[in-house]
Amino acid sequence: MALRVPKAPGFASMMKEGSKYMHGLEEAVYRNIGACKELCETTTSSFGPNGLNKMVINHIEKLFVTNDAASILREIDVVHPAAKILMLASDMQEKEIGDGTNYVILFGSKLLENAESLLRMGLSPSEVIDGYNLALKKTLELLPTFEIKVNLTKENLRDNEKVVSKVLQTAIGSKLFGYHEFLGELVTKACLTVTGSDSSSSFNVDNVRICKILGGGLLQSTMIPGMALKREVESEITKVNQARIAVFSCPIDIQVTETKGTVLLKSADELLAFSKDEEASIEIQIKALSDAGINVIVSGGKVGEMALHFLNKYKIMAVRLQSKFDLRRVAKTIDAVVLPKLRTPTHEEMGACDSIFVDEIGETHVIIFKHAKSHIATLILRGSTDQILDDCERAVDDAVNNFKALTRDPVLLPGGGATEIELASKLTEYARTCPGIEQYAIQRFAETFEYIPKILAENSGVKSTEILAKLYVGHHDNPNLGFVVGQMQSEATQSNDITYETGDVKLNELYDLYVTKKWAVLFATKAACTVLSVDEIICAKPAGGPKQKENKGWDNDD
Amino acid sequence: MQQPMIIILKEGTDSAQGKSQVLSNISACQAVAEAIRTTLGPRGMDKLIVDSHSKATISNDGATILKLLEIIHPAARTLVDIAKSQDAEVGDGTTSVVLLTVELLKNSRTFIEDGMHPTIIIRAIRKATALAIKKIKEIAVHIKVDDPKEQRALLEKCAQTTLSSKLIARQREFFAKMVVDTVLMLDDLLPLNMIGIKKVIGGSLEESCLISGVAFKKTFSYAGFEMQQKKLLKPKIALLNIELELKAERDNAEIRLDNVAEYQKIVDAEWSILYDKLEKLHLAGVKEYQKIVDAEWSILYDKLEKLHLAGVKVVLSKLPIGDVATQYFADRDMFCAGRVQEDDLRRTQKACGGAIITTVENLSEQTLGTSEVFEEIQIGSERYNLFTGCPKAKTATMILRGGSDQFIDEVDRSLHDAIMIVRRAVKNDSIVAGGGAIEMALSRTLRDFSRTVAGKEQLIIAAYAKAFEVIPRQLCENAGFDATNILNKLRQKHAENNIWYGVDIMREDVSDNFNAAVWEPAVVKINAITAASEAACLILSVDETIKVPKSSAEPSNAAKAMNMA
Repeated sequence: MALRVPKAPGFASMMKEGSKYMHGLEEAVYRNIGACKELCETTTSSFGPNGLNKMVINHIEKLFVTNDAASILREIDVVHPAAKILMLASDMQEKEIGDGTNYVILFGSKLLENAESLLRMGLSPSEVIDGYNLALKKTLELLPTFEIKVNLTKENLRDNEKVVSKVLQTAIGSKLFGYHEFLGELVTKACLTVTGSDSSSSFNVDNVRICKILGGGLLQSTMIPGMALKREVESEITKVNQARIAVFSCPIDIQVTETKGTVLLKSADELLAFSKDEEASIEIQIKALSDAGINVIVSGGKVGEMALHFLNKYKIMAVRLQSKFDLRRVAKTIDAVVLPKLRTPTHEEMGACDSIFVDEIGETHVIIFKHAKSHIATLILRGSTDQILDDCERAVDDAVNNFKALTRDPVLLPGGGATEIELASKLTEYARTCPGIEQYAIQRFAETFEYIPKILAENSGVKSTEILAKLYVGHHDNPNLGFVVGQMQSEATQSNDITYETGDVKLNELYDLYVTKKWAVLFATKAACTVLSVDEIICAKPAGGPKQKENKGWDNDD
Repeated sequence: MQQPMIIILKEGTDSAQGKSQVLSNISACQAVAEAIRTTLGPRGMDKLIVDSHSKATISNDGATILKLLEIIHPAARTLVDIAKSQDAEVGDGTTSVVLLTVELLKNSRTFIEDGMHPTIIIRAIRKATALAIKKIKEIAVHIKVDDPKEQRALLEKCAQTTLSSKLIARQREFFAKMVVDTVLMLDDLLPLNMIGIKKVIGGSLEESCLISGVAFKKTFSYAGFEMQQKKLLKPKIALLNIELELKAERDNAEIRLDNVAEYQKIVDAEWSILYDKLEKLHLAGVKEYQKIVDAEWSILYDKLEKLHLAGVKVVLSKLPIGDVATQYFADRDMFCAGRVQEDDLRRTQKACGGAIITTVENLSEQTLGTSEVFEEIQIGSERYNLFTGCPKAKTATMILRGGSDQFIDEVDRSLHDAIMIVRRAVKNDSIVAGGGAIEMALSRTLRDFSRTVAGKEQLIIAAYAKAFEVIPRQLCENAGFDATNILNKLRQKHAENNIWYGVDIMREDVSDNFNAAVWEPAVVKINAITAASEAACLILSVDETIKVPKSSAEPSNAAKAMNMA
């Protein structure tokens, strides 16, 4: 192998000095596969409920403690081009579904690993790619047939709270195992609060808000229908029941023009009257609000001293929000129209809220808008460190995204690796029917699915080979057999230890979403094929231009 | 053929992985705990920390010390976080929460070394935590709050327990009473910002006093101040947000224009005004100008008069009160103070009623406050304005005296802890015995429970049980006692179901701490245990650290990463 001289004579001389040129299996393909393998090693141990966390310190010295593959990869700055392809695939998964990112990385790199041995056997990359694509097609055909029927439709999510909560628990279980039951139910409640009763209204992930407050324990987290804002009120009144609310995007103060100007005072009398007029005009405005029955004002700008005085006088509560998005969300919560100018809202423009009050959670003051008919729900997460809170937020995010996927396509598949084993055996059968050389590739594709339960078992500290054997045997009778971690029923009674065994995932209510799996397999295969199809790498000499801007988009949740 | 290295991460990225990583994280946490270990308990020692601005701080508050240490190790930073969280949630017990976490980690260390999977340990820890919290809730004693006398006694004892481990342990009875008085004065929400703590250097600790009302340092004042009354009975108080000074009414008065031609006119007008003024001045015909000046005076006098006519005796303003106004008030036996701090003003408002007003147009009974007595007194070298006997006294002010800045600061922190504890105790009336008693009780419960568990978890729950003993052990060690001896006695007592036996610091022995009135709110312990185990789990669950170089570093690119040499 080493005898191969890949460089075309003279090719290097065609390019600038400092550029690099790699060609062929040895130099390009294997190298790329190697890089992907290494990337996968980092995330492998964080897969599944027993996955371990990673501590990542990113380029601005922010500390992350997480086992969320998407977050890890985003923060560690992968630069290798091939590894980046895989990373982008997982990124796409994050965008499409919001969960199953680690699955993509894992599956993709294992596909590549298997491809490597095929290539070494002498298959050409294109043959492998063909085989993988065939297998992918078959997989996508097979997947829906494994559906676990629980009579879940888009319309009746609300009535099947228990099933929904189980689905979300599976998602949270892979991040915060041990808290998944508690959080799962909380998130389910929040999501169901937000979804409209009619099936036509779509579910927006943004409507489930998260408010992180340091202190206490995770189990003290709560859900409120409405909003929670980490602010204090401006006014003296701190609690209003049956609130009638006016929402303004402008400051509550004396109106000022955009153009800078000075009042022209012609005479002494005008000067004398000036401040009185000002006072009177603002009092009229606020009195009008009060007369209209408004007892809470939410403003996007400053509340002026003078205005505040009159607000207090007329017993109106004033809340100031700095974020435009928060203002919009509050308006949505209470069904109000945001007014750009200080005027009395009409009856339709006013918002209503069951109660608005200031509460002290831990040491933090929060304003809580509690409204039973709210379109927004807020999860107040508690935790003893910032990292736990962040990790918790990611887990909740995943769960909410899962819910969203559920509203789109409520088909459930058996979880815990059961689907994968079933796929593996079905694909192996399929491979035997294929006459061409792709047979090998399909065979390998099938084997790749084995890794999922295998890694689940390995991360739990169980002998993976034993589990695999058991799963294959069991699948002859029961296609829903999977690897089940921890029998929750037994934990409640405290008598039984937690088991790591194969079990019927349907009985244990371990569900995966069909869409998640579909896209994950699709993205991973496509990424793997892309990496495989590269046979030449050309790197131009790095230009000494100005530094590229850092990607600022990573923290822009609002 | 030599396999070249594949770099997929940025150059300079640090990555550590595996078992050794978990172990090194534990070691780092242990090092942090060493720093604050000796501060625990009544015989704990203080730390003197000089920060980067060479400001000295003396403290034995765990959270304060950790904050000042500026720890950068990622795992150890978790400890700072939980100390902060404990501080936010309950205010006290910051040292014990850190000690407990580290002891848990230390005890788990051997299992990690033996190759036990961290997830098993984590699960066991969570299980043990749930059990411990259940146990606390079970054995915590509820004190009836119907009887105000009994509630008072309970609160004072809780405050004393907290204070006993602080710098002011010797004066704890004195301060405990003060703290309880303060908190009971507040309204239902128990807002912390309604408690003012003022520090005056000089005098002894016992000269510190509590004022059921508001006190603040005399503000800067103009001439005429000396003639004002220094003591007023039942004064009416006006709280203003107006400048009582000779000055332009508003500097951002405005004009609105219709078209461009107007603009020119305005400019012309402005010029002509100026010329006009100058000319008039020049011609000594200052009639119009004088009128303007007169108007300004009359606006001011108008305001002052309104205040006077409303019967106001004390005028407080957030904004300056000029010498004209000061003089005016002095002539009419009124008191005034300008540039009062906003929170002081708010507290005065809460105490005396009324409202902070921005206009003097319609002064009425509702907008004016009152108090029994207003006086200005001398405290140390400072003069203080005092409002006492307030009708709506939902606020209190503590005036602390002491020898030095650092000393008073530490007293401030200690009292803050005590206030927080009392606030928690008011809201949650269940208490447990301190001095290591509750920890020993939990330790025993968990140890007994562990024997009923089959499998690896048994070892870990037993280790958790042992970790609880760190609190009484450290108490003994800090006091210079024979820890082993005392712990043996405690274990024996607890085995006989004497659940409230703890360390008796005074007699170097064990005693029933519930009878000895060493009490702590149960919620403090519950939060400490929750936080400690969450943090321990977090640290144990990390098996890899990846450190990306700071963004200031030269950005490496794909070509470099390929590194195909």
